[in-house]
Amino acid sequence: MSGVSTLKFSFVLMTLLVFASQSYISVTIAQVSESEATLALTSAEGAVSSAYQAVLRAEEAGANVSGLLVQLNDAGELLAKAKVAYRLEDFDEAAHSASLCSKISENVKNETDELHVETYGSKITGFWLTSTGSLVGAVAVGLGSFWGWRFFKKRYYERVLEMKPEVSSNES
Amino acid sequence: MNLEEYRTVFAAGSLVIMLIVATPTLGLIVPFPRGIERFSEFWVLDPNHMAEDYPFNVRVNESYSVFVGVGNHLGSSSYYSVYVKFRNQTQPLPNATASEPSPLPPLYEFRALVVDGGTWEAPLTFSVLNPFSRNDDSAFVGRLSINDLVFSVNASAKWDSENSGFYYQIFLELWLYDTASQSFRFHNRFVGIWLNVTSS
Repeated sequence: MSGVSTLKFSFVLMTLLVFASQSYISVTIAQVSESEATLALTSAEGAVSSAYQAVLRAEEAGANVSGLLVQLNDAGELLAKAKVAYRLEDFDEAAHSASLCSKISENVKNETDELHVETYGSKITGFWLTSTGSLVGAVAVGLGSFWGWRFFKKRYYERVLEMKPEVSSNES
Repeated sequence: MNLEEYRTVFAAGSLVIMLIVATPTLGLIVPFPRGIERFSEFWVLDPNHMAEDYPFNVRVNESYSVFVGVGNHLGSSSYYSVYVKFRNQTQPLPNATASEPSPLPPLYEFRALVVDGGTWEAPLTFSVLNPFSRNDDSAFVGRLSINDLVFSVNASAKWDSENSGFYYQIFLELWLYDTASQSFRFHNRFVGIWLNVTSS
């Protein structure tokens, strides 16, 4: 009999402990969520800014960034959503949206960096091809002009030498 | 023409041709200024994408829509923030002369990354929610819903006898991300719509 009541007591105690631990965990989650939301928001702000600056660098190098900006716009939308949720003290939503925003922004930054390297490489190649072509062309024009001038001068002297002097008399 | 004159013409002609041939390289090295005016567009349009049928006489708990848009002509991709604010007739608007935003806190916000020459647009749906009260000379709006999110505004308005109404304004400020300071700065552009909250 005493064994049964001990068992009942243990069961009640266990149940109480389970409920108590659940309420403790939920309170802890809510508290963590607020601080996490702040951190997640700061991190997301930084991630979007960093991705945007990478996009600007790639754009300056001549890359087509319109596709990347579409993705980054999604990140921006999530960041705005997170910030509004934070103002409304919906920290779970704020942390969730901010975290998604960070992921998208980091992907965009990585893709942008790759695109930047590719574009920069082809830009350098293009620069060397163009400048070499221009230089070779300019030297060719210079040499051509020089030889053309020599040829022209020679013909000029020949024409002058072929001219026969005319003697004109001035008899009255 | 004598030989000296021929030589001058020949040298000048050669130099011009050499410059033309070198133009692609010069174009890569020498930055040519682009005489383009740089600016951002900022607008609010009615539900039909026109500028003529804005919500004005507003009833409590009824939903109204407008469109917010930004056009980028700044010469490179730009990162904008649009803050949505709410005020009565006595609360401050942004100061365009001093390039200062309104000190009122933003309720809602948008973020937009717009390619040079591109535009961005988003819907803004709002409704005035209860608690709302009014008497002969004042009205009180307690809450405002913007894009399905509810904000406490607690704004009172005095009866405007000149225009016969209780006037509030939803206005939007455009902020631009500044890469040098790595923060948003007020871009000195704002738009707004007046609302006459008529009845509950």
